[in-house]
Amino acid sequence: MAKKILEVKELTTKYITRFKENVYAVDHVSLTVEEGKSLGIAGESGCGKSTLALSLMGYYFPPLYYTSGEIIIDGQNISGMKPDDVRKSILGKEIAYIPQAAMNALNPTQKIIRFIEDVVHAHHPDATKEEIYDLARTRFERLGLPASVLEKYPVELSGGMKQRTVIATSVILGPKVLIADEPSSALDVTSQKKVIKMLRDLMETEIIKSMIFITHELPLLYNVTDDIMVMYAGQIVEKANAEEAVFDPLHPYAKGLMGAIIVPEEGLRDVKLTAIPGVPPNLKNPPDGCRFAERCKYAVPQCKVIKVGMTEVGDGREYRCIFSEEELREFYKDAQ
Amino acid sequence: MKHTIREIFHSPKFLVGFSIFMFILLVVIFYPLFVTAEPLEIIGKGTFFEPGIYVNVYDGVNSKQYTLNLDDAAEKRIASKLGDQERLDMQEWLLSFGIPEEEIDIYDTEKLIELWENNYDRSIRFPGMTSARQKYFGRLNTSLAGLLSTEGIVLAAENQETGELESTGIIEQTNYLNVGQVANVRVLPLGTDNFGRDMLTELVSATGTSLKIGFIAGSIATMIGLTLGLLAGYIGGWVDDIIMFFTNLFTVIPSIVLLILISYSIGQEQRGAVTVAVVIGFTSWVWTTRAVRAQVISLRHRDHVNLSKLSGHSVGHIIVHDILPYIASYVVMAFILQISSGILAEAGLSILGLGPKTTDVPTLGLMMNWAMIYSAHIMGKWWAYFPVIVVIALVSFSMNLMNTGLDQVFNPALRE
Amino acid sequence: MKGYVKYFSGKLVWFLITLVAAFVLNFVLPRLMPGDPVAIITQRTVQGMASQAGIQKVYQQYAELFGTNKPIHEQFIIYIQNILKGDFGLSFSQYPRPVADILKSSIWWTVALQFPAIILGWLIGNTLGALAAYLKKGFDKVIMPVSIFISNLPAFGMAVVLLVIFGVKLAWFPTSGGYGFDMIPNLSWGFIWSVIVHYQLPFWSIVLIAIGGQAIGMRSMAIYELNADYVKYSRFLGIKDRTTIKYVFRNAMLPQITGLALSIGTMIGGALVAEVIFSYPGLGSTILTAVMGQDYPLISAVTLIIALMVLSATFLIEILYGFIDPRIKAAQTD
Repeated sequence: MAKKILEVKELTTKYITRFKENVYAVDHVSLTVEEGKSLGIAGESGCGKSTLALSLMGYYFPPLYYTSGEIIIDGQNISGMKPDDVRKSILGKEIAYIPQAAMNALNPTQKIIRFIEDVVHAHHPDATKEEIYDLARTRFERLGLPASVLEKYPVELSGGMKQRTVIATSVILGPKVLIADEPSSALDVTSQKKVIKMLRDLMETEIIKSMIFITHELPLLYNVTDDIMVMYAGQIVEKANAEEAVFDPLHPYAKGLMGAIIVPEEGLRDVKLTAIPGVPPNLKNPPDGCRFAERCKYAVPQCKVIKVGMTEVGDGREYRCIFSEEELREFYKDAQ
Repeated sequence: MKHTIREIFHSPKFLVGFSIFMFILLVVIFYPLFVTAEPLEIIGKGTFFEPGIYVNVYDGVNSKQYTLNLDDAAEKRIASKLGDQERLDMQEWLLSFGIPEEEIDIYDTEKLIELWENNYDRSIRFPGMTSARQKYFGRLNTSLAGLLSTEGIVLAAENQETGELESTGIIEQTNYLNVGQVANVRVLPLGTDNFGRDMLTELVSATGTSLKIGFIAGSIATMIGLTLGLLAGYIGGWVDDIIMFFTNLFTVIPSIVLLILISYSIGQEQRGAVTVAVVIGFTSWVWTTRAVRAQVISLRHRDHVNLSKLSGHSVGHIIVHDILPYIASYVVMAFILQISSGILAEAGLSILGLGPKTTDVPTLGLMMNWAMIYSAHIMGKWWAYFPVIVVIALVSFSMNLMNTGLDQVFNPALRE
Repeated sequence: MKGYVKYFSGKLVWFLITLVAAFVLNFVLPRLMPGDPVAIITQRTVQGMASQAGIQKVYQQYAELFGTNKPIHEQFIIYIQNILKGDFGLSFSQYPRPVADILKSSIWWTVALQFPAIILGWLIGNTLGALAAYLKKGFDKVIMPVSIFISNLPAFGMAVVLLVIFGVKLAWFPTSGGYGFDMIPNLSWGFIWSVIVHYQLPFWSIVLIAIGGQAIGMRSMAIYELNADYVKYSRFLGIKDRTTIKYVFRNAMLPQITGLALSIGTMIGGALVAEVIFSYPGLGSTILTAVMGQDYPLISAVTLIIALMVLSATFLIEILYGFIDPRIKAAQTD
C-alpha cells in the first residue's frame, strides 16, 4: 500500500457569524490522499468545498474556527500545533494553497520575485537573495514560465499568466500537498488548458507529492484526479475513484450531479452542478436526518429522522445513505 | 421599500444621528412659538452679558419683601467680593507699601480690611506696577466699601416741593424677595452677544437659517450632480468626456477660491442667505457628479436596463424607471453630506467676512464671525462662540452618522 | 521609463489646463457682474472716500489695469501680461502699497504653516487609521469615535477650542499674530523664538483637523485591504503577519495619497479660516482685511495665488505618486 501523504480524520470547522451563530461548514470530514495521487472534491457552490480547502491548511483566522478532528501530513499531526508553528513549518512548505481568485492573489505593488523572497524567508530566514532567485528561476523555467516574469508586477501579467505564476509560487518550496481551489474557473479555455497541464506536470515531476483539486466542473475532475469525493451541506456523501464516481455513483445526490455528464461530449465542461431542483439546507440548523432528504426523489419518511453515516462498500468506496447498494441500483434502473 | 426603511431605523448609527438632527430641527421649529422675540433685537446695553436670570432691580425693590434669618448670609456676601485671589492681591499691595509680612493675616477678614482701609491710597503707583494694575486696586477698593457694615440700605425719594431727600423705607440685610413675584425677569440662558442680543434666541434662529442654507445648497448641488452624473454615465461618449473634463477641473480648483470670488463679485448688499446658499450649491456638485456617474456606468449594462432598451423605452423612461431607483440611496446619502458641507461652507465664508449681509438674519457663521471680531474667545466670553461651535459640530455629526448608518444598510459589505 | 514619461507628461498637460482655467475664472467671474465692472468695483472700493479726484483716480487705475475700453480678449492678454510681470496693481485698503508686496509678506506665512501641518496631520491620521483597522478592539473603539467627532468639528471650531484652552486658560501660547506684536521681523533669537511660539496653536489646530478625516479614510482603506485576496494567500504561504501588514498598509496608503491630492484644496480652504481665528499674518487674514477694506485687486490676487498653490501642490503629489506606485509605470506601458 502506498504511503499516506495526507490523512484527515473527522475534521470539523465552523464559521461564527456576526450574530454569534455557529455554522458548521465542514462537518466530520475524513479523507486520505496517498503519495502520487490526486483527489477531486465536487459539489454545488455553498456546499462547503472551499471551506474544506481552507480548513485543510490547519491555520484558521476569523470568522473560521477549528472545532475538532485531526490533520496528519506525512505522519505529522498538525492539529495540535501552535498556530505560529503551523505557519512556520507547515504552510507553504508541507501544504500549499492556490486560491479561487488568483486574479487578486498577488500583492499588486510588489514584484513577483520580492513576494517569493518573502515566502522563502518566512521558512528559511537565512536564504540569500541569489539563492532564492536561482530557485525561483529554475522552478519557473521548469514549469514553462519565462524568468522575466519574476521581475514584473502582477498588473503586467495576463490573467492566465498570473494564475500560473501563483501556482509556481505556491510550490516554490516543494510542498507535499497542494490544494487547488477552482484554479481555472475564471480563465479562458486556452489558459485553462495550460493551468491543467501545469498541475499535471507538478505531479509528474514530483515537485508536489499529492494534490486536492476542488471544482464544480465535473469533466475537469474526471480528467485530472484519481479519486473523487462529493460534498453536500458540509458533509462527504460519496467517495470513489474517478471512474466510478462519474459513471456509477451511489448516492442520489452524486447520481443527480453526474447524470448531467454521462454522455461525454465537447462543450460539456460548462455544465454546472445545478441540475437538481431545490436548495441545500441552512447550515445554522442542519436537519437531524439525511441533509439531502428534502431534495431527494427516493426519500422515505425515515430519511428525515435517522442520522446516516458512511457505508463502506469495499476498495475504499463509501457513500452516505440509508439504502443499500442494491436498493440504490434498483432505483436507478427503474429510472432509466 | 418598507423593509429597507425598517432596516434603516434599526441601524443604531442612523438612529442616533436622526435623533440628534430631529431634536435640533424641532427646537428650531417650536422655539419661536414660545419665545416670540425678534432674534436680532438688541436688548442689552453693553456687550456680552453673562448667562443667567436677570431680575429687574426697580421691580425688585418695590416687590414684597420677606425676612429670612440665614446664618451664612454675611459670610457669602463677603466671599462674593473678597475671594482668595483678592486677599492675595491685597497682601501684595500691602507688602509693596511696606507693611511687614507678619502683620498681614489674609484670612482674618476684619483685620485685613482694617489694615487696608488705614493704608490704601489710590494715588500710589509702585515701581513696575502697570496702570491697569493700579486701576484694578482702585476697583477692588471701591467694592470693599461697606462690606462689613451690618446696616441696611436706606431708600429715599426726592420731595417734589422741598427738593430734599426723604427716607421711604429701608432694605435690611435679611430681606429677600421671591423671584416669581417680580414683574420683570428675563432669563438669558446663553447671555447676550456683542451687540446685546439674546444669544439663545439668536442661536436658534441662526440654526434655522443655516439649515435652510444647507438645504438649498445641498438641493442645488445634488440636482446638478445628479443631472450631470446621469448624462455622463448613461449617454457616455463625448458628453461624458466634456462633463468629466469640467468635473475634474472643478475638483482641482479649490471651491473656496470660487466661493470667495463669486461672493465678493455679488457684493454685500445683494448677498442674502439664499444667494449665499445658491452660490455654495453651484460650487459643490463635483463629488455628487462623480459618484452618480460611477453608479450609472455600473448599471448601464445590467440585464434589466438592456431589457428596457430592447422594449423600446425612451431614454427618459429608462433613467426614471431603471436607473434612478437603483442609485436613489447614493443620491440620498450624497444629499445629506451636501447639506452638512453647505452649512460648514457658509460658516467658513462668514468668518472670512463674505457671509450673508449682516442686518437680515443671523446664521451660525455670522454669529461666529461677530464673536471673533469682538474677541469673545480671548475675553473668555464662552457663551458667545462655544454654543455656536457645538451646534455646528452636532449638525454635521448627526448628518454624518445618518450617512454612515444608511451606507451600512445599503452596502452590507461595510458592516463589521 | 516610457511609462513614466507618459504619466508625467499627462499630468503636466492637465496641470497646465487647470492653470489656464484658474486664470480664466479669476478673470471672468468678476466681469460677470451686470453693468460696468470697473464702475462697480470703483464704487465699492471708494466707499467713504470723499474727494471726487480720488475716485476718478481709482477708476482710471482700474480701467488701465483691466483695459476695459479694449475688446475682451485683449483685456485678457493685458491681464495675463500684468500677472506674469508680477504686477497685480495697487492695493486700495493699503494704498499705495502694491498688491504684490502685500502678497510677498503673507504668502510665506501660509506656506510655512499649512503645508507642514497638512502633511504631519496626514501622516499621523494615516498611522492612527491603520492602527485602528489592525488592532480593531479597544483601540478602534477609542480612536474612531474621537476621529469621527473631530472630523465633524469645523476647522475654525478646532482653532477656537485650542485657542481658548491653551492660549487663554492655560496661557501656554500666545493667542494671535505670527510673532510678538511689539517686535520687528529680524533674525535674532528672540524673534525666532517668538515665531515658533506663535506657530504652535495654528499649526496643531490644522494638524488635528487633518488627522480626523485621514484616520477615518485610512481605516476603511486598510479594512478593505485586510480582506483582500492577497492577504489570505500570503498567510497561507506561511508569510508572517508582520510582513503581510506591511503590504496592506503600503497598499492602503496609495489611495490615501491620491486622496490627499484631491482634498488639499478643501484642507487649505479650512486652514485659511483657521488663520483668521489666530490673526495669523498669512493669506487667510489677508482675505479678511481685503474683504473688509473692499480691496478688489488684493482679493483677486489672493484667490489666484491660492489656486496656484493648490494646483501646484496637487501636481507635486501626483508626480510623487507616480514614483511610489509601481502600477503607474506598468499601466501606462500597455
